[in-house]
Amino acid sequence: MRRARFPGVVLFAAGAAIGLEASTFDVSFLTDPIGPKALPYVVAVVLLLAGVHTALRPRGGVAWPTRGVVAKLAAATAAFLVYPLALPVLGFVLSTTLVVATLSHLYGAAARHGLPAAAALSAGLWLLFVRVLALPLPIGSLWLR
Amino acid sequence: MASLSPLLEGLAVALTPLNLGLVFSGVLVGTVVGMLPGVGPINAIAILIPVTFATGIPPESALILLVGIYYGSQYGNSISTILLNVPGTASAVVTALDGYPLTRAGRGGPALAMSAIASFVGGTSSIVALVLFAPLLSTWAIRFGPAEYFALMVFAFSALSSFSGGSLARGLAATGFGLWLATVGLDPNSAIPRYTFGRIELLDGMDFVVVTIGLFAVSEVLHLLGESERGQTAPASIGRVMITLRELAQSGWTMVRGSVLGFLVGVLPGAGGTIASFLAYSTEERLGGPTGTFGRGDLRGVAAPEAANNASVSGAMIPLLTLGVPGSGTTAVLLGALLAFGVTPGPLLIEEQPDVFWGLAASMFVGNVFLLLLNLPLVGLFVRALRLPRWFLIPGVAAVAFVAVYAVNRSAFDLVLMTLFGVVGYLMRKLDFPLAPVVLGLVLGPLMERNLRRAMALSGGEWGVLFDSPISLTLWALALASLAAPAVLRCWSGHEPPGESAVLEGNSG
Repeated sequence: MRRARFPGVVLFAAGAAIGLEASTFDVSFLTDPIGPKALPYVVAVVLLLAGVHTALRPRGGVAWPTRGVVAKLAAATAAFLVYPLALPVLGFVLSTTLVVATLSHLYGAAARHGLPAAAALSAGLWLLFVRVLALPLPIGSLWLR
Repeated sequence: MASLSPLLEGLAVALTPLNLGLVFSGVLVGTVVGMLPGVGPINAIAILIPVTFATGIPPESALILLVGIYYGSQYGNSISTILLNVPGTASAVVTALDGYPLTRAGRGGPALAMSAIASFVGGTSSIVALVLFAPLLSTWAIRFGPAEYFALMVFAFSALSSFSGGSLARGLAATGFGLWLATVGLDPNSAIPRYTFGRIELLDGMDFVVVTIGLFAVSEVLHLLGESERGQTAPASIGRVMITLRELAQSGWTMVRGSVLGFLVGVLPGAGGTIASFLAYSTEERLGGPTGTFGRGDLRGVAAPEAANNASVSGAMIPLLTLGVPGSGTTAVLLGALLAFGVTPGPLLIEEQPDVFWGLAASMFVGNVFLLLLNLPLVGLFVRALRLPRWFLIPGVAAVAFVAVYAVNRSAFDLVLMTLFGVVGYLMRKLDFPLAPVVLGLVLGPLMERNLRRAMALSGGEWGVLFDSPISLTLWALALASLAAPAVLRCWSGHEPPGESAVLEGNSG
């Protein structure tokens, strides 16, 4: 039950933090009667009230993922986060191949299927966006030296 | 009032080779993307906005393309809903009620044909209504001042909060989250930074494309990791993609009623396609009487929601184009795109940028014709595409999402933000918080704040100005009434109206 109250607590805390931060939005000159604080205050009140309501009337029955799925989720998220780091260095085609192959693997593909498919997809996207639509994508500093 | 000559000029815009090509590719790409497991119109549009932007086409052409993608993806979504029972949107959940049983009975082909024809009827007939009513509403909306706009936006928010999820508190929390995201960045009036966490990248605020793709597409990619593949391969036999004249005649009035209902509901904020298809279906179910075969594979059960769903697209265009206030997540994304293209929708749009309005109306008509002509013969091909393994389709969606997000600002930081919103979206889905209000809050937030501050500046800080005119009082009353509307709907139809959360249940079912 305590776990079910958690979203409400998070909302309440977020509302409080947003409201506190808003109180520091002081402008030295008067731009308009209500200034930059008004909307953030409204947001804070909405979140505080929604948080109280959600915490007081918690809803059970959330189908949390099993441990195996959590591991997959973590791996996918990690791949998503590595991608922006790899992109400027390895370039679009190679980084995208690696991330898509990782995702394919998580979705149950054998590497001998997933890797060529990911490479073909990334190369295809490169051709489509860079050649056809003239939308620049990073080549990768590694190949430019 | 509504003479035909502007429509003819609109046709001249829609029939230029560029725009014909765009509407054709829009409905085609929309159908293919919308068909992918779990990708609804909002994902399809958000992913394709940066691409559209990068091609540098004029705004009316861009709008024509994006709206083509909108109804194309809605139809594509019906394909995977009917054949695989994986609705990508809440409105498609209703189509699945009879569509999927038809597929299991080997009649997937007729169900797809019915869906194409009903979409066409709903789509085209409602465009006529759009052309008639939008100019009327425009002339009326010219009287809207900042206070009226503020009240209208409150109405849009309260309606979407109350219709989009299981509980009002969760809907409001999602709206609050979206409004908060809207305040991130430099305050336009006083130029002080708000909630930027010291990041230069955030001074310009959150880009709605990045947030939308993260919340919807990335969270879907994560969500599907935990779903079994059970029942998610296209059936071997779907029958001929044709229906008999008798079946068509039987569904005739169903489509007419669905179209009218869909259009009317589509105009209202918050409700949109979901409530439209839901109401149309319940109405037909009632009229069908206790002997009806609804829920067990009745073609009328496909015709009603599909006609209503597509009619609601034209309906939703009315507040979007004439008031500049969208009422759903998808139209909020369209508004964001319009603003990015330098088109400010509002009561003056029809007068000042007639090409945009009439060109769009005419092209919607052309697009619906294309959609019908394309889909009846090509559906077999689409079905084969659905047999591609999930391990290829879903990572493919992720790769296209990467390109789209990167294309917005060519910034790696946006990809990190996207992932962050993907995780938040995943948690929100799990905890039964709706996602659409976040997008509406983000896109509409700055406009709402501007109107509030303008109204207050005009009144010299007197809050009473917000409740001064009969129009704003009416809108405030509507906002309050919309909070009670889901309960009323529930009593009338005896069903729970589907919220976004129903999509999850549909996916796992």
